[in-house]
Amino acid sequence: MAAWDLTITVEELGPEAPPLKISVTSDLHIGGVILKVVEKTQLKKDWSDHALWWEQKQQWLLKPSWTLDKCGIHADARLCLTPQHKPLRLGLPNGTTILLRACFSSPVFRTVMGICKLLNIRHPEELSLLWPVEAKKKKKDKGVEEEVYDITCAPLPSATMLKLSSGMPAFFAESPESEAVYKTLSVSQPAPAPETIAKMYRSTTIVEKAQVNGRWLDSSRSLLKQGIKENDKVLLRFKYFTFHDITPQIDVVRLTQLYEQARWAILLEEIECTEEEMMVFAALQYHIGKVSLTEQFVASCPAMDDLDSALQCLEVKMDRESSADDMLQTMTAPELHDYLKIFRPKRLTLKGYKQFWFTFKDTTLSYYKSKEESCKEPIQQMNLKGCEVAPDVSVAGQKFCIRLLIPGPEGMNEVYLRCEQEQQYSQWMAACRLASKGKTLVDSSFSSEVQSIQSFLAMQKTTPSNKTAQTDDSINTHSLVSPRYQKKYKPKQLSPRILEAYQNVAQLSLTDAIQRFLQIWQALPDFGLSYIVVRFKGCRKDEVLGIANNRLIRIDLGVGDVVKTWRYNTMRQWNVNWDIKQVAIEFDGNINIAFSCVTADCKIVHEYIGGYIFMSTRSRDQSDTLNEELFHKLTGGHEAL
Amino acid sequence: MDDIDAMFSDMLQEMDLLTQSLGPEESEPLPKPPSISVTREMNFSNGFADMNESLNDLEDNDLDALMANLVADISATEEMFVSERETSTGPAPFAPPPVQSESHFCLPPSTDAHRPATTSNSISAPPPPPLPTAKPSKEELEEQMKADKIKLALEKLKEAKVKKLVVKVEITDGGSKTLMVDERQTVREVTDNLFEKTHCDCNIDWCVCETNPDLQTERGFEDHENLVEPLSTWQRDSENKVLFQEKKDKYEVFKNPQVFYLWKKDKTSLKDMKEKDKEQLLEENFCGPSIIVPDLEGVLYLKEDGKKSWKQRYFLLRASGLYYSPKGKTKASRDLVCLVQFDNVNVYYCKEYKNKYKAPTDHCFILKHPQIQKESQYIKYLCCDDEWSMTLWVTGIRIAKYGKQLYDNYKAAVRKAAGSATWVNRTFQDSPSISNASTPSPTPKAKAANGHAPQQPMENKGSGNQTSFPPNPPLMEILPPPPPDPAFLPPPPPALPTTTKGNKFTPPPMDDLPPPPSEDLELPPDFLPPPPPSFVSCGGGALPPPPPDPLSSLPPPPPALQNSASMGGGPPPPPPPPLPPAAANHLAGSIRKVAPPPPKRTTQQPSASSGGDLMSELMSAMHKKRSHQ
Repeated sequence: MAAWDLTITVEELGPEAPPLKISVTSDLHIGGVILKVVEKTQLKKDWSDHALWWEQKQQWLLKPSWTLDKCGIHADARLCLTPQHKPLRLGLPNGTTILLRACFSSPVFRTVMGICKLLNIRHPEELSLLWPVEAKKKKKDKGVEEEVYDITCAPLPSATMLKLSSGMPAFFAESPESEAVYKTLSVSQPAPAPETIAKMYRSTTIVEKAQVNGRWLDSSRSLLKQGIKENDKVLLRFKYFTFHDITPQIDVVRLTQLYEQARWAILLEEIECTEEEMMVFAALQYHIGKVSLTEQFVASCPAMDDLDSALQCLEVKMDRESSADDMLQTMTAPELHDYLKIFRPKRLTLKGYKQFWFTFKDTTLSYYKSKEESCKEPIQQMNLKGCEVAPDVSVAGQKFCIRLLIPGPEGMNEVYLRCEQEQQYSQWMAACRLASKGKTLVDSSFSSEVQSIQSFLAMQKTTPSNKTAQTDDSINTHSLVSPRYQKKYKPKQLSPRILEAYQNVAQLSLTDAIQRFLQIWQALPDFGLSYIVVRFKGCRKDEVLGIANNRLIRIDLGVGDVVKTWRYNTMRQWNVNWDIKQVAIEFDGNINIAFSCVTADCKIVHEYIGGYIFMSTRSRDQSDTLNEELFHKLTGGHEAL
Repeated sequence: MDDIDAMFSDMLQEMDLLTQSLGPEESEPLPKPPSISVTREMNFSNGFADMNESLNDLEDNDLDALMANLVADISATEEMFVSERETSTGPAPFAPPPVQSESHFCLPPSTDAHRPATTSNSISAPPPPPLPTAKPSKEELEEQMKADKIKLALEKLKEAKVKKLVVKVEITDGGSKTLMVDERQTVREVTDNLFEKTHCDCNIDWCVCETNPDLQTERGFEDHENLVEPLSTWQRDSENKVLFQEKKDKYEVFKNPQVFYLWKKDKTSLKDMKEKDKEQLLEENFCGPSIIVPDLEGVLYLKEDGKKSWKQRYFLLRASGLYYSPKGKTKASRDLVCLVQFDNVNVYYCKEYKNKYKAPTDHCFILKHPQIQKESQYIKYLCCDDEWSMTLWVTGIRIAKYGKQLYDNYKAAVRKAAGSATWVNRTFQDSPSISNASTPSPTPKAKAANGHAPQQPMENKGSGNQTSFPPNPPLMEILPPPPPDPAFLPPPPPALPTTTKGNKFTPPPMDDLPPPPSEDLELPPDFLPPPPPSFVSCGGGALPPPPPDPLSSLPPPPPALQNSASMGGGPPPPPPPPLPPAAANHLAGSIRKVAPPPPKRTTQQPSASSGGDLMSELMSAMHKKRSHQ
């Protein structure tokens, strides 16, 4: 058989070096070609990760036993010997960027599996890669180069499970630097400056949101094939909003990144919520930020901790004979008492605040004419259990009032208590808050409640000048809400509202807080909807298709209303006509729909539907084995043509 | 010391008196338990304080409840004295220990009446754990014991603070039942009690409701709620009532989730939805990481604050609250105005608001704080076009407020209903001798005996009916162990275990322990939750396979089961002795550390009652004693 010259570029020889020409015959197999090239370079190194890339056809030659003939390679082909794993800048949901080595030759689905294994994220099928939004040049110019955490030195993920050392993959434990990287992965980021949020790209309309979904990479093709070059940046995001089997103990990174993605979705208004919900999200962010500084992510199960402490407590109590007295003492609650001023607006008189001697015991607030008369019958007693407590505070104006709405048979009784100074206020406020939840001053949360009230008061003091200072106590409340509310409220208007929501979450552990955040996020009506602008067959205007984990919805672009909902469990089949780029779906009862996609390739829609159906096939017992083949069967199809 | 002794003997005397007079013939109202004058639907019970008040207007049922309560009082206080004494004088070879355990047992039987014989025998069986304590020479053990006793006493003290109400419940058929509810009881437990008392079909739609004539409202309590708390916020002169009735909408959302979650679809297509699809809907909406609230939206009328007019507004339900979109704004989330969040309010159906408030229709519901009992500006009044949409909204709000709890309630209710159904079947199909020791009572009537033993036997006698079991007076310590009239038709339960297989005695207890068999019974399902905790905690106490008997001294409900076992084991010596006394003792102690809570929940009829005076007396006595030492 005639020998001919094959031109092959080898990156290792440098960009300037001329391509190598090796003499081959058509029946030489790919493995042989590589061997010849390597011999010719006379470089001694590990070539095991290298493979041939056929530039013109945008194709990897990964089957070493195939002959050149079988691959269709002739003398005009320009091949390139290049490593399959290349550095990739990966934007994480938390906004940080990591430089790591990812596989450029395998389908993106498997590449993501490798990345997730490296980062210790379970269930990689829920994530995918996304082209970043093109950064606007003018802003980028003066912007400082973003920080990149380099972990390219990490060993390539092998088939075996990563070994863990002290809760993180062994590789991260090797050096302090890599440990720091792991920390950025597994600990939620501090609240961003409000300006940062305001500056970031926001998709305000549903069409803009739909455009985001046009940027998903194709799961069944390799990175290089899709035009991603070495050192390019792509984003890693949760794509399918069904989070299988979250276990806080082992899903530290996964849960943190999921939280970050949810948080940014809310801050950037990618998902809409009401003002009340925003305040709860803000309170949770504040709380999570605060406890992240001190608390380790669940090392052990909280229930175990409870048991431990309960047992300890019991031991202490059993210790001495006088334990009964101790217990009796703890059964009798401590009290708060002081002179405070009270005002009851319902009386319609303009009497204003009047001073009395107040005592707070258990959940009951009583007041007397004076301290001396406190042994007599109180003028009035108010049981605060079930009442509503709201702050009415202005640090600047030195006004520290507590507004109580105490339920009674006739309705709610409105009462204002006025304290003289911060310290006093925070104690009484904490007592009122606990009492409203039926807890007494004995409750262990009392002191932390006092503290959190004080730190919120401190927040009000922060002047706009030191807005960016982000110490624990002075977080700008603006950095917890979306720009809409930044504009709507001043920080000092926001903080009481956030505080109000905060009182319900202040006692949560870090894990619980994150999970609560995710729960509320998942309960939002628009949660889990990915939008694509489509044109239905026979219609003249664009409409929006929303894809969720259990249904498809059709949204009228003009009004924004949901016109129609189809559930997957009534779906018979779906087909994609790749030539005319049309998706056709058949539902039970002879319902047929067909549409072409405007803002995304029809492959993306196809992949979404197939992907969600794949997700629903996962069951709890086989959580660790990923049926890759089934995924490709459901989402691929394009290659079959 | 003296006053304690004096008090103690007083107590004993008193108890003797009461029990004697009560034992033979309950029909006589002579014993005068701590009478509680039931004036209206409910009242606070005051324990010993109003000992001398008359009993006049009590129904039989009340008597039962109160009797049980009284017994509980006595046994509780007695127990406390015993433990007090033990701590002060060291392990005294003193009668009380057995008494203590008896009194422990004398209550469950009354709730467990269909296994009477077993319980009566139990008196002889269980003492082992307490008794060996008499001679543990080790000081550590004593210390431990003292600590335990003190702890027990404190538990009792706490328990004594438990609030109880006597509640009159009106039943759909026009009748009414009165029962004692303590503050730890959930509505589910109360419902179960009512099932036993009313012979209804026990389906899952039965619901305990409250009505308020002032506001013309009605609300079904959720199964997980406590009954006492809301009722105690009623005013003294309240006309409010507690009803027991079937309410179709209670669990409709779980029977037909599609009509709530797919309400936008046309109704005909929803009617014949496949069970599988329904299940999937429930799975999607109730089993995920967060509950999904039906996406209700539509026009409702809202009564303006403090005004008479009703205004139409476009409302949307979200997990976080009820919202409306103000005039001229879109339905987008950011523009929504929150009318109310559900943390502090309940939702109530209203009647005849067309008349009362000039509402556009009679299909109204309100949202208010449970304590508000009268018209108030703090109540949100809403009006729907038709009954159907009202059900939609009210149910939606309940889902938003209670979330997954509602689904759990439903599942428990279904289990319960299924349990009682199989029980009924079994009672008709199986002859008692075939079924295992645990299902001795064949007639449905027997089940009504649960919870108020004293009265039932009497009824039986009167009717001359061949009731399944011998009468089961609550105070068996006094009576001779064998049931009074064992000649009655099927007293097989006692006989059964003994006759079946003599050599198999140690296994049977284990058979009786696990919940499954008890699930078939009518009663156990409500006992079902409690036992596991105690077992689990035993496991945690480093004794994975605890011999049933030492255990049985602790949580009341298991004893009932285990006793049958230990009773069966009566002829051969009971299992516990094999344990060295020290170990057994330690075991009991260590269990006690963990176990005390379960009894609280499981004792249906309160095991200890309040009596502020008595308790404070006890407290002061304790203090005095301590200072004497």
